[in-house]
Amino acid sequence: MRQIFNALLKYKNTSLFLGLLFISLLIINQRSYYHKSFFSAIGLGVSSGFYSVSKGIFDYFNLIKINGDLITENNKLKTLELIYFQNQVLKQETLDTFDFEVVGAKIIKNSFNKANNYLIINKGYKDDLINDMGVISTDGIIGIINQVQANHSSVISILHQDIKVNVSFKKNGAYGSLSWPGVHPKKMTLNDISTINSVSIGDTLVSGGMSDYFPFGIPIGVVSKFIKPKTEGYYNIEVDLFSNLTSKEFVYVIKNKALDEIKKLNKDVSK
Amino acid sequence: MFQSNIKSFLQFSFLILLQAFLLNNINLFGFINPYFYLLFLINYRFDNNPTLLIFIGFMMGLLLDLLSQGAGGHTIAALTIAFLRPYIIRFSFGVNSDIPMGMVKGTSLSNRLLYLGLMVFIHHLILFIVIYFSLKSISIIFKYTFFTTIFSFILLWISFGFFKKRHD
Repeated sequence: MRQIFNALLKYKNTSLFLGLLFISLLIINQRSYYHKSFFSAIGLGVSSGFYSVSKGIFDYFNLIKINGDLITENNKLKTLELIYFQNQVLKQETLDTFDFEVVGAKIIKNSFNKANNYLIINKGYKDDLINDMGVISTDGIIGIINQVQANHSSVISILHQDIKVNVSFKKNGAYGSLSWPGVHPKKMTLNDISTINSVSIGDTLVSGGMSDYFPFGIPIGVVSKFIKPKTEGYYNIEVDLFSNLTSKEFVYVIKNKALDEIKKLNKDVSK
Repeated sequence: MFQSNIKSFLQFSFLILLQAFLLNNINLFGFINPYFYLLFLINYRFDNNPTLLIFIGFMMGLLLDLLSQGAGGHTIAALTIAFLRPYIIRFSFGVNSDIPMGMVKGTSLSNRLLYLGLMVFIHHLILFIVIYFSLKSISIIFKYTFFTTIFSFILLWISFGFFKKRHD
């Protein structure tokens, strides 16, 4: 013990310097978004490497279940393909004119029990992913990419208190913003739906076209509870998600081919 | 002792306010702002407690960052230069490094120029590295460091002239 104290006294300047330097790094991380993203990129690089090893081991034991999911998904896609053929639409033409393109990816790390949740997926800028791309799963939306490394990206989950997703009612197109109050991973709240629209329990919600990230019409959830306040002009709506974000394995990243143009327009308008 | 502490405290506050509200807004040729608050860290008596100086450097940088909405560049730069100061003194003054007011009297001109130049250059280099923090902007870091160092150096050298006059 005495030796430890002696060593501390001997190197007191150095240890004080290192301690204060650490505090300054914490301050800089807190105050500047630019530095924060630099530090968290380092963190992402380390943690994604670690998680991809441990995930590889667990995945081996889940193969049966995943195969089942893939068969279901394939069946669904096959049906869609048949519908396309029936409508006599050339498939390639549809793919070319559609504004969104899809890339499959696998979740390496998923969190759903914090106030602000993130996921890590195993595709990065080598697969042409960039920031602000939407991520969906077989039965709903997952989140938006916020950081990209060579082979991994981190995704802000919709279970994140800062994220708001534009959604609309399937029956009448009234749209509002969906956010997560931070309690249960299947319960979301829906705001900004004006009381002039009629709402009933069991109404289906789909992703709205106002969003730059998601194409119109992805099913998201159903209304499970709503309150019509007497004084305000907006409903308080609680939504049950279709997808269970706690048990996802595969996701699809959506590239919006028109994102650059939309951003440019937004910039021009705000000038 | 008490009186000199009060004097140091007043000097400390004055330099921070001067830096934050006047000198940070000069923007000569668009980007040059002299970092004159270094005067305190350079002029601090060579025989005073170096541990205290590290703490003072940290506080000084932190207050400046808070006042000028900086992220933390001044904090790290001032802290580091306060930590490195004894080594720089030993390097630039050699055998004379135990003279307490070495920057004002009792040492040769070339030693003083070397000390002042090293302190200013290292501080500015760390400051701009922390602010830009990326390899891509390495050229802009060196450009800013070079020109700002020259400007700060001249200003500090002139102000030491005043110190000397008062001491004689």
